[in-house]
Amino acid sequence: VFQGVRQAQWLTKTKLVEGLPPSVLSIVDNPAHQLEDQEEGVKRAISHARLWDTTEVAPRREHYCPVLFEDLMHLCRLMSVKYPSLAKRMLARNYKISATWERESILLQVRGLNGILMNSMAPIPPVASKEEILATEEHVLETFHPISPTIDLQEVNVYKELNDTGKSSSFRDGYPYSHPHTLFFLESANIRPNRFRPEQLRAKMLMFAFGNALAKAKVLYGNDPKVLEQPIVVQSVGTDGQLFQFMVFQLNTTDLVSSDGIKNLVWIDSDQNLYEKAQCIPEVKKRVVTKPAGIYGFQPDTFKKFLALYLHGTV
Amino acid sequence: MAASRGRRLLWHGRRWFSQTESAVPPRPPDSLYPPIVASATAKSKAAKRRRLEHFNQRVHAAASIEEKLRLYGQLQRPKYMLYPQTFALNADRWYRSFTKTVFVPGLPPRAALAAAKAPGAVAPEAAKTSEGPAGVAPEAAKAPEPGTAAPGAAKSPELAAGAAPYLDMGELRSLACDALLQESFYQNKKRPFLYRDQDHTPGPFLTQLVSTLAAFLCGRNPLLAASSLDLKPEVNYYWHHGEEVVVHGHRKGRVDPVRFQIDDNPHLQIRVPKQLPEIVPLESDLGDVPVIDHKPSKLPLFKKQYENKVFIGSKVADPCCYGHTQFHLIPDKLKRERFVRMNLEDQIEVLYRANGIASLFAWTAAQAMYQGFWNEADVTRPFVSQAVVTDGKYFAFFCYQLNTLALTVETIQNNPRKNICWGTDSKPLYDVVEDGSVKGFNDEVLLQLVRFLLNRPKDL
Repeated sequence: VFQGVRQAQWLTKTKLVEGLPPSVLSIVDNPAHQLEDQEEGVKRAISHARLWDTTEVAPRREHYCPVLFEDLMHLCRLMSVKYPSLAKRMLARNYKISATWERESILLQVRGLNGILMNSMAPIPPVASKEEILATEEHVLETFHPISPTIDLQEVNVYKELNDTGKSSSFRDGYPYSHPHTLFFLESANIRPNRFRPEQLRAKMLMFAFGNALAKAKVLYGNDPKVLEQPIVVQSVGTDGQLFQFMVFQLNTTDLVSSDGIKNLVWIDSDQNLYEKAQCIPEVKKRVVTKPAGIYGFQPDTFKKFLALYLHGTV
Repeated sequence: MAASRGRRLLWHGRRWFSQTESAVPPRPPDSLYPPIVASATAKSKAAKRRRLEHFNQRVHAAASIEEKLRLYGQLQRPKYMLYPQTFALNADRWYRSFTKTVFVPGLPPRAALAAAKAPGAVAPEAAKTSEGPAGVAPEAAKAPEPGTAAPGAAKSPELAAGAAPYLDMGELRSLACDALLQESFYQNKKRPFLYRDQDHTPGPFLTQLVSTLAAFLCGRNPLLAASSLDLKPEVNYYWHHGEEVVVHGHRKGRVDPVRFQIDDNPHLQIRVPKQLPEIVPLESDLGDVPVIDHKPSKLPLFKKQYENKVFIGSKVADPCCYGHTQFHLIPDKLKRERFVRMNLEDQIEVLYRANGIASLFAWTAAQAMYQGFWNEADVTRPFVSQAVVTDGKYFAFFCYQLNTLALTVETIQNNPRKNICWGTDSKPLYDVVEDGSVKGFNDEVLLQLVRFLLNRPKDL
């Protein structure tokens, strides 16, 4: 996606807010929402994923990125000791989504396998207040004339407008964990050109979060475009094993044909490093060990935000 | 110099036989001359003994565990590859003889852990403690039928303060059913790839089940809170057992130890920082180890030469260096229907047992090596681990206690200890899944799984 997040914003009729929303930030700052020995646990998880998990000297990104994600999720799940309703979450891997919408007479569709989705039984309450939602009415979406907003999008013939998390595509009716909570994207290709760069990763996260929210809205409120009474919130986390992108998306309206009116909102916290460097073999200069093996530059805040996004909606 | 080069070549265990035997006459300790010992490079049995001694001393004196493991597996020779999941007939007898394991059917009787783990057992305790605190006694909890699990969590959580926390069978059952239904029914997936049925449904179901159960139970078992969950880890172990004569090649005629290597890939594994308690004392004798007169290649087992790996799932530096539970998934080509079609129903249980014994032996022995023990320095405390072998529907539970690592020809002679493996037959967790509900759910199997996950050292 060429322009990255700006293009995605235009396509999904969204207004961008930097940083995470205050409800999530309050969870981050609250010491009650932390595990015991959280820093130790996270450091152990990083060391396990980056240093210890293989018989070779250093694991590759294809190996350590999913392992790091699984270890962090294991740590987050341990919080269900304090909050038993956290057990009401289910991870769905290899998850397929498809959602269609019209945007100024261009029919757009989001489809495909998009990583790992975490579903919950209860929806996340809306993050922005009513005033903020109304204030988006005045916001003008930035266009990048003369570049068409659909540049770099693949044009396909859509025969069936599939629109679901509930009907024929992803989950059947009656699924108890029916609310999409968080999407996880792991950029784990070994070679750098095969991975999404941070800007494109954020755009991809936005598009898929929007797709999931839109599909859920169509299931709940029907196919007519309108402003939603209860906005739908879907979160998204993207990482390449070291850099984390956090995103909270709120769908306020399904009326996407025109560019005026109430817009959707997204809060993005980008490029959060969990650690600076993971040294697998000690660095030796002139027979003296200058840098022993280990993890350098650990930032505890990144995991706190990860955990806060996990706990959001339950605490 | 040719002599020094020859010495270096000979140092690494090349055996050259000669006719002469050098005598070692005793000398008074304050002699001017150095002690007369057997030559180290001659082609004689005494020289071979001395070289072996030197090698053992080098391993004993290794500076770190990584160095010790490196020296232990330094010499590469053709070795038998043992596959825990094998179609070989009666493989579990062969594996028991290779690993000196005694198989005891059924699981070891646990001393009642706080007696509140089974919902049936909580009934007498609840009845006792309800008499203590006078006054309010919520009748839902205090009207238990001993032995029956009240479905749907009818027991009220406000038991008297003296009672240990109980286990909510309804909650656990709903977790398990949700995981099962999501993977098999609710989530729309593409058709399974050819012969990859196990990756399509039972694999993800097992992952979901174990991760949610572990998170649910970590309040009751603080060991789980410090545990490390590995997905598709690698477990390797290399050892010598028995002797054979080299059949062909430039080393023909020499007597060599029989080398084995297990390279295992469990589906899921939980590693913990503290060791599980021993089940029976170190020197107990609970049965006999089968003796097999044939060569291992008759099983069939095949030889290959490659790196001698010893690995528990992560490197030595990891603090979670003891094993708790492994979960194995039976692959598609060993499914039950195949055995039934070939009129080999009794081999189904053999498959589960062989998998349990071999995988657990490899894991516990590798854990022992990570602590510095090896076949010359036998374990001083038993290493215990558990495993669950399943094909998605049928579950079999295994418990293993490693009492000895000394399996080589020299060390096995005066070694009375045997390794012990307890195991059950495979039982189904449910009958069938249709129309969004699970029919015939078996609580016993789930309870056994929960008991496995709750296992922990006594002082925690």
